[in-house]
Amino acid sequence: MTATVESPTGLTTVEPIPVRAVGVVSTAGIGLAPLAGLLVDGASAHTEPETDDLGDYPPVPVRPVGGFRLADHIGRKGTRHLDRLTGFGLVACGLALQAAEAAGAPQAAKDRTGIVIGTSTGSVQSLSELARDTLLQERPYLINPSRFPNTVMNSCAGRIAIRHGFRGMNATLAAGRLSSLTAFRHARIALSQGRADRLLVGGVEELTAPTAWAWYRSGGLAEGTPVGEGGAVFDLGRGGGDGAVPEGADPAVAELLGCEVSFAARRGLGAALTRDIRVALTRSSVTPDQIDLVVPGANGHVGTGRAEARALSAVVGDRPAVPFVQSLGETYSASGALQLAAVLALWRVRPSSRRRHALITNVGADGNTGALVVRESEGAPGDAAP
Amino acid sequence: MPESRRVAITGLGAVSSIGIGVQAFSSAIWEGRVGASTVSAFDVSGFPYQRTSEVTDFDPDSLLEVLRPEDWGRSGLLAAAAARQAAQDAGLGADALSDSRTGSAMGTTSGESTIMQSLCEQWVADGLKGLDPSHVRQAPASQIANAVNTELALTGEALTIPTACSASNYALGYAFDMVRTGEADGMFAGGADAVNRHTHAGFHRLGALAEDVCRPFDANRSGILTGEGGVALYLEPLERARERGAHVYAEVLGYGVNCDAEHMVHPDPVSIARCVREAHASAGITPDQVDYICAHGTGTPTNDATEIEAVRDVFTESLPPISSIKSMIGHTMGAASGFGAVICCMAIQEGLLPPTANVSEVDPQLGPDLDCVPGRARPAKVDIVQNHGFAFGGNNVITILGRAL
Repeated sequence: MTATVESPTGLTTVEPIPVRAVGVVSTAGIGLAPLAGLLVDGASAHTEPETDDLGDYPPVPVRPVGGFRLADHIGRKGTRHLDRLTGFGLVACGLALQAAEAAGAPQAAKDRTGIVIGTSTGSVQSLSELARDTLLQERPYLINPSRFPNTVMNSCAGRIAIRHGFRGMNATLAAGRLSSLTAFRHARIALSQGRADRLLVGGVEELTAPTAWAWYRSGGLAEGTPVGEGGAVFDLGRGGGDGAVPEGADPAVAELLGCEVSFAARRGLGAALTRDIRVALTRSSVTPDQIDLVVPGANGHVGTGRAEARALSAVVGDRPAVPFVQSLGETYSASGALQLAAVLALWRVRPSSRRRHALITNVGADGNTGALVVRESEGAPGDAAP
Repeated sequence: MPESRRVAITGLGAVSSIGIGVQAFSSAIWEGRVGASTVSAFDVSGFPYQRTSEVTDFDPDSLLEVLRPEDWGRSGLLAAAAARQAAQDAGLGADALSDSRTGSAMGTTSGESTIMQSLCEQWVADGLKGLDPSHVRQAPASQIANAVNTELALTGEALTIPTACSASNYALGYAFDMVRTGEADGMFAGGADAVNRHTHAGFHRLGALAEDVCRPFDANRSGILTGEGGVALYLEPLERARERGAHVYAEVLGYGVNCDAEHMVHPDPVSIARCVREAHASAGITPDQVDYICAHGTGTPTNDATEIEAVRDVFTESLPPISSIKSMIGHTMGAASGFGAVICCMAIQEGLLPPTANVSEVDPQLGPDLDCVPGRARPAKVDIVQNHGFAFGGNNVITILGRAL
């Protein structure tokens, strides 16, 4: 079908943004291969809560990153005071950078390399430990001062910048379940405006007893939908001070095309997402019938899942969708980044001779909606990520 | 669609400890009035330092038309109240907002911190099973921009930017790019934070709290007062603002953004100087064109020394007047650089330099000829202003505003 879109600003076709490498930490493990295994045949998800000093878990299914120890990935130095959320960001970013280097992706000056990370709460572990200390210690100010910066929500992005010396723009974005898609959209606009040459972009979410209880108590998840965690970071941009890369030298695995986000009152979520999808497709110069893969993010949620299904049905028709939430659990702020990782993982294990297109969508009960169109790169390398 | 549009600021909103509404806020600033009181947001009895800058007379019911206060956290209510004021100030009807591609970008440091504080109290009292579901839904920081969009029925994005104490400036730069590229027809940019126990405890433990008042640039400065507030600026294409006859406070000329990538809490003068230069380049100006600098000016010994060292590195000929409104409204965290942007707009409009309050003796260690506009506002030619925001995580953002010519 042909999308008719009205927008007061007019619509411009977006400039594709190359995705040169990915780093992902999920309940399937580290990297794209186990993620593909989980999505294709349901293998290797962790279903038992990790040991959690903060308390016991409520009776909800969980999909934690099993056995995650930050020091195993980046060494012991300077990691003692870091929380799980920042750990996922550091490991995902480190993996993306390794993959980019292995693939010969162009670098950029450190002053022109930045970070964009989606999170809507920061580390609940760090914040709740500190906030509880203000109630439980002998004096309310007897908190651990070295942990205080961890409670500020830009801690993950700041730590990544410090570890790698990236002195360019440094952003932390919160839009609930749309946090990561918003990060991709911001990255596209920032690159187009010359705010940076290279951006490490993604989202993170940590699972702790308090967050599991929060989901359980608030009733936002459908019966049987697990609570998950993880993070994914992508190397975006063209690299080089002048932004120019010689023909064929960019080992991009995919391109990000249109990405639209909106806000709607509860009854308008389906209509808002329908519009997001149509505008994103139009601005990508991609038609609905070119979409090979649909990865919905709200599937398995009370209310919002239905709105998402309605919007998808209206624009791209009824077709099988990747069981993303069922496999990885509710990953909230990290979901858009993990959805993109899922697309890349599935494309890698199912090679195709033509360039494919994927559609990523999400809807939050808070009113946020959004859609992202992704295109496989020409001759995408099969081994650009660990 | 043009490649790049000029961007005007046509609406201002401010909910601060010294005044609610941009007129009350700016009048108090011109007088150098200080908003400080004993903490009422939580039981402060165990803390050695108990002064804060709270919005003690904040009445969300009287300021908001749509939101039910019981459904939202204090940060979201402060942001939405400021955004409502900005929409009224810009002369925008409800239809003009919801029918266009208008969104919000709101900065914060601690998100819905008073809700998080309540949840922790419930946890300590009754265990995790005692978490109040309505508080859980109000807890994500993203509820701040969601509150703005809900109050104004905005259909564009609702983006909260938790880049800590430079977050409003980041939001302003973000909104500038959204409007100039045509991705949005209009944007509300600003920020909000609320006084809460864990932030007060954290800054106390870092040794960054002042006992009584905040004295930026003073030889005896000792730290910040934790503060709160909500602030919003409405941005739209300059051409459209003129077509509809809107009052234009200022034009956003450009901004610089970077990261120290050195330390989570200690600022870096080299990095800040680089950010200033980047802001000037973005705005297409030279240092001699800057009439006033609205400082980050927290009043900690380290911040002010670092900040002055950085600007002296760039302004080698002469340093323009530089003052800190934190001396009056406290450190409003994620809202701080938003309040800075609002007072910069008013400085351009009124031809007044915002003062630094509580200065007895300008710190000689900060070097000669430092004009921090002590005491009260002073008339001056103000055409181009530079607004600073620095943050934990080394997140620096500097915005440049100018008289729209």
